Amino acid sequence: MQYQTESWSSFLPTRSVDGDPLGRIEKLASENAVVVFSKSTCCMCHAIKRLFCGMGVNPTVYELDEDPRGKDLERALMRLLGSSSAVPVVFVGGKLVGAMDRVMASHINGTLVPLLKEAGALWL
Amino acid sequence: MRISFEDWQTVYCMASHRVGETSNHHNPYSVLQGINPTTNFINEEGSPFDFGELEEAIVLQGVKINNDEAKASFLTARPAATLEMFPSWPLRFHQTPRGSSKSGGESTDSGSAVNTLSSKAEAHLEPESPMASDGHGASLSQNQATQQAAKATAEKRKFGATGSTSDKVLDAKTLRRLAQNREAARKSRLRKKAYVQQLESSRIKLAQLEQDLQRARAQGLLLGGGGGASVSSGATIFDMEYGRWLDDDHRHVSELRAALQAHLPDGDLRVIVDGYVAHYDEIFRLKEVAAKSDVFHLITGMWTTPAERCFLWIGGFRPSELIKMLSTQIEPLTEQQIVGICGLQQSSQQAEEALSQGLEQLQQSLVDTIAGGSFNDGMHPMALAFAKLSNLEGFLRQADNLRQQTLHQLCRILTVRQAARCFLVIGEYYARLRALSSFWVSRPHRG
Repeated sequence: MQYQTESWSSFLPTRSVDGDPLGRIEKLASENAVVVFSKSTCCMCHAIKRLFCGMGVNPTVYELDEDPRGKDLERALMRLLGSSSAVPVVFVGGKLVGAMDRVMASHINGTLVPLLKEAGALWL
Repeated sequence: MRISFEDWQTVYCMASHRVGETSNHHNPYSVLQGINPTTNFINEEGSPFDFGELEEAIVLQGVKINNDEAKASFLTARPAATLEMFPSWPLRFHQTPRGSSKSGGESTDSGSAVNTLSSKAEAHLEPESPMASDGHGASLSQNQATQQAAKATAEKRKFGATGSTSDKVLDAKTLRRLAQNREAARKSRLRKKAYVQQLESSRIKLAQLEQDLQRARAQGLLLGGGGGASVSSGATIFDMEYGRWLDDDHRHVSELRAALQAHLPDGDLRVIVDGYVAHYDEIFRLKEVAAKSDVFHLITGMWTTPAERCFLWIGGFRPSELIKMLSTQIEPLTEQQIVGICGLQQSSQQAEEALSQGLEQLQQSLVDTIAGGSFNDGMHPMALAFAKLSNLEGFLRQADNLRQQTLHQLCRILTVRQAARCFLVIGEYYARLRALSSFWVSRPHRG
């Protein structure tokens, strides 16, 4: 699991590009095979992290509560999902998979593993 | 209702005390003595016995008897008087086999019954003389009576020293009357037996109702429960809905069984299988709604049987366990299906593990909040604890989601016939588990 604190600070000085949180989310999501937006205090986020670890996947995690502009991202994610809770949210191969229910459903119906393999997050 | 001799004594004592006429003492007593052995007369079903009424009647009777002078007149008056003593009791105790009109039959038969009574009383008042003086006649009539009244001792007593002690041969009319009395007595006994049985079953039913009432009251179903301060209507509503769901489940399982035995075509089976899946979707939906008002009720499994509750996983069955159980029960699978089932079991296990760990972290976090009791992020510890508890709903939701997805995936992997068999196995399994739980709970054991 990689916690991307460095890329946050790279955004801070250049405030002119920070107008579009959603754009930033998309950019972050495309940088790694598996991207999880989380909060350090969220237990469901902990569950989703455990799920990926259990599968042998190494996701990139962004803790929104540890980011100065996390609130903006949180709001953007809520709009994206149409849900009152922004986290956890999972992107695989730059594409939105969804919140916990979608992730589990896709794992059960067998579509998650191929997606992970395709994104290069799983080797078998 | 059988009136014991003690009851009679009590009543007449009360009556005499109230009236203050102790001179009545013997007369009601002899009346009582005359009546008491003839239990068939007294033991009638119907209106519950009212001592007050009897008391009053005895008092009046005592007054009336006091006015009689001759013993003979006392004796002849008494039969009619005894009838009047029970004004509210229906005079239905004699039903002639020929089914004559009620009033006519009654008067005739009550007359005959009363005659028997009076003759019995006569025998009491002059106990020894008829027997002693005419031993042969008495024994003859006795033998006849004994033969006739073979079944009941009451009848024996009644007819043992039957009237007309002067007659050696019983005339046809008397014989017919005796037969009628026997019949009436027999029917009376049957009615009494039926009534007692009815009372017994009512008693059991009452006990059950009281139990249900207590349970319902404990759950706050009744409005007497203080405005629902400590009880949740969401839980009770769900329990009711779950009860209905169980009835539906039984119906679905029977349908599956019948369909498989009848070897219905796949199209028909598909409809039934889809119906069963929808039936499970229904309970997950109901749980989601109920979780908003009482997540503890659901997640602790208070809605299930004890045996189910013991092996509960986040408010329901553990999907991987279900798959494991099914894999031994469903018919031979293709290699692809085996791979699919194994994959399903593995992925559900992984998901279960993840959710369990998430729940563990929630518990740890809650422990810290409750134990620490300090303000965190400017929040009151109670408010913080509330916020954490609200996550339980999410975990229950995800657990049910996992269960639902597992069932749907099973349908995709299996053929329709295999799926039908599979759901039959599931339905029967849980029915047996629930039955096991019931039997265990109600098993006889010491202490």
